[in-house]
Amino acid sequence: MTMTEEQTMLWDTADRYLRDHTDFNQRRDQIAEAIYNQPEKWQAFAEMGWLAMPFPESLDGLNFGLREIAILAELCGQYLVTEPLIDALAVASTVLIRSEQAATLVPGVISGDLIAIAAIDEPTAGSRLSPSCTLSQTDSGWRLQGKKYWISAGASATHFAVLADSSNGLAWVLVAKNAAGLSCETFPTHDGKGGANCHFDLPISDDQILLMGDAAAEALSAFRECAMILSSAETLGAAQAALDTTVDYTKQREQFGQPLASFQALQHRMANMLIQTELTRSLVYSACDAADHDSPDRGRFARAAKVKSAAVGRKVTQEAIQLHGGIATTDEYIVGHFFKRVTALETWVCSKGEALQEFIALDAKKVASANSASRH
Amino acid sequence: MNASSPLPTDSDAFRTAVRDFLSEALTPELIRAGERTTSVFSDFEAGRQWQSILHQRGWGAPDWPLEYGGTGWDIQQRYIFQEECRQANAPTPVMMGIQMLGPMLMHFGTPSQKERFLPGIISGENVWCQGYSEPGSGSDLASLKTTADHDGDDFIVNGTKIWTSMAHYSDWIFCLVRTDKAVKPQAGISFLLVDMATPGITVKPFTSLDGEIEQCQVFFEDVRVPADNLLGQENQGWTVAKSLLEFERGGQHFTIDLKKQLSKIQRMMSTETCRVSGDPTFAYRVAETQIDVMALEQTELRIKGSLTAGDNPGALSSLVKVSGTELGQCCAELLIEAAGQSAIPWQSEVLAPSYSGSTAAASESVTTMAEYINSRATTIYGGTAEIQRSIIAKHVLGL
Repeated sequence: MTMTEEQTMLWDTADRYLRDHTDFNQRRDQIAEAIYNQPEKWQAFAEMGWLAMPFPESLDGLNFGLREIAILAELCGQYLVTEPLIDALAVASTVLIRSEQAATLVPGVISGDLIAIAAIDEPTAGSRLSPSCTLSQTDSGWRLQGKKYWISAGASATHFAVLADSSNGLAWVLVAKNAAGLSCETFPTHDGKGGANCHFDLPISDDQILLMGDAAAEALSAFRECAMILSSAETLGAAQAALDTTVDYTKQREQFGQPLASFQALQHRMANMLIQTELTRSLVYSACDAADHDSPDRGRFARAAKVKSAAVGRKVTQEAIQLHGGIATTDEYIVGHFFKRVTALETWVCSKGEALQEFIALDAKKVASANSASRH
Repeated sequence: MNASSPLPTDSDAFRTAVRDFLSEALTPELIRAGERTTSVFSDFEAGRQWQSILHQRGWGAPDWPLEYGGTGWDIQQRYIFQEECRQANAPTPVMMGIQMLGPMLMHFGTPSQKERFLPGIISGENVWCQGYSEPGSGSDLASLKTTADHDGDDFIVNGTKIWTSMAHYSDWIFCLVRTDKAVKPQAGISFLLVDMATPGITVKPFTSLDGEIEQCQVFFEDVRVPADNLLGQENQGWTVAKSLLEFERGGQHFTIDLKKQLSKIQRMMSTETCRVSGDPTFAYRVAETQIDVMALEQTELRIKGSLTAGDNPGALSSLVKVSGTELGQCCAELLIEAAGQSAIPWQSEVLAPSYSGSTAAASESVTTMAEYINSRATTIYGGTAEIQRSIIAKHVLGL
């Protein structure tokens, strides 16, 4: 489970780029100006091939697995990237890729021109995935009606991949953000991204319908699994960065005539932060590998990673604030931003509680099939 | 079967071969000893007998190099072997000689020391105990006061060792003793191998909370030990001991036992008469523990991966020790909750491998309470959880 040479190279390149192009104060200024996705950065992501990673070579993609994409997600957490990288890759690699329109849509994703963001949550449906947003057939064709709220990174979207209910079951519908009949309110989010609330009431052409029925449901479960893993990876990166920042700070800050790092009460809390972060790292990487090798355990691993990373992300960043003291409660200090990002990631697409319940259900299935196998 | 019969290298076939051997070699009494194990150690005689069976098969010390009687198995195979032994409820022998002293003898011992001691360790003929802690030296091991003074070609040892597991059964003890009082504490310690039959040694056993005897105090009064029994250089004992401690911490696969405990919990949950069956709050806690065990298992694999690549796991063994022991305590707690009142009977006699009568406790819960009680010691021995956290703080975080 150590990194391959290719993965190490990817890590080093991405790390170098993000280090050179990330400035914490600049980030704050940009967020204040509602700039969440810098065009030149997004273009650089495209040029470095990051936006091509999940796609097959037949679509000019790089055919990388989740293990590689998770490297980027981890670094996004570490560098507090506000660009919608995991948001866009999660939708494109699970929903767009399954549609008949993949051949025309994917090149746009790879070039950076098409940023499709999943619109799932609703004011009345929460994330329970039974949308009240409807796609219905009228005399003049399809019509999409309903609301999608709290779309993380929605402000950075060029398009929305809208999850709707139809007479054929679930449907994924692609709607351009500037489409007539879509009213979209954008707002800053606590984690430095730009969110959106959308009201849809517009005609839909056949080529906007990406998937329907079983295929749409299958894409939804793939999307959720991918989102669980990538949000876990980003949480891991943010937790590690919060820990590193805390360790550095306590070595420098002196109280009672000695560095904070010399106090055992604090040392053991930082040791706990490290232990939990490392345990999370193992699960995140294994969840990627399980998905990439299509292991029968992939569903359990994705949920395990989600549950663990959510709990650890919360604990480690809370501890980071406490060990810093007052400084970490200010917006001008970085540690609180890791805390805010992991908090937002905790409920993105799937909450810890949902993941835990699904884990229990999958585990029961596994036990049952093991029992029936041992009877035969 | 004989010692030289080749084993398949493919891991499934390897597992089958191990399983076949175990089903043939484990007698019902040995299995009962394994099942009724409530701590690190099984019934002593059963453990010794099992060690001798393993040795005859050529599997007495799978982790040792081939030249000393090891198996030549790779890490994966050794893991499978351990897993299958636990699944089959093989008893666990007293392993201090094999797991801890053996590797140090290979590394620091003279050719004649290796020749003299290694064969008895691997055959199970000589049982060793570890003489480190003292009444005044627990976590602060380097402050130990037991002395070894030169007298001609011998050392004369005086002092006392405590928490010496299985000393009452042991043939030999490996000890840390003070050979120089003038230097700083770590620099004046030597590593000595002592025959427990030497005049001047007395052993006082302690009854543990579960009513069993495993821990002892060992007293040394003018005990004469030949200088040949010094392992490593004089006053270099701390170096020897430190590498040994890493073996103690890093050489374990906690998740084998943890997964076994979790299966037992799940089995109990699915029994309708069990008091936790259908309790969603219990199910959530079990699931969260399961996830933590998965995380630890993947971490153990990650460390093994780095070991193959030639890195030293170093302080990561502290991470595994802390997590493994704390998760073990967590599983033990879930088990007593699942067992409820059915675990409260205290009948030491039922733990004997020869016992085949009825039990006051529910049959599945005979060992549950004792395991829970004994689990509290796991975060104390082998370097407390606090010492491990200090090691992580110092060596990983650089605090």
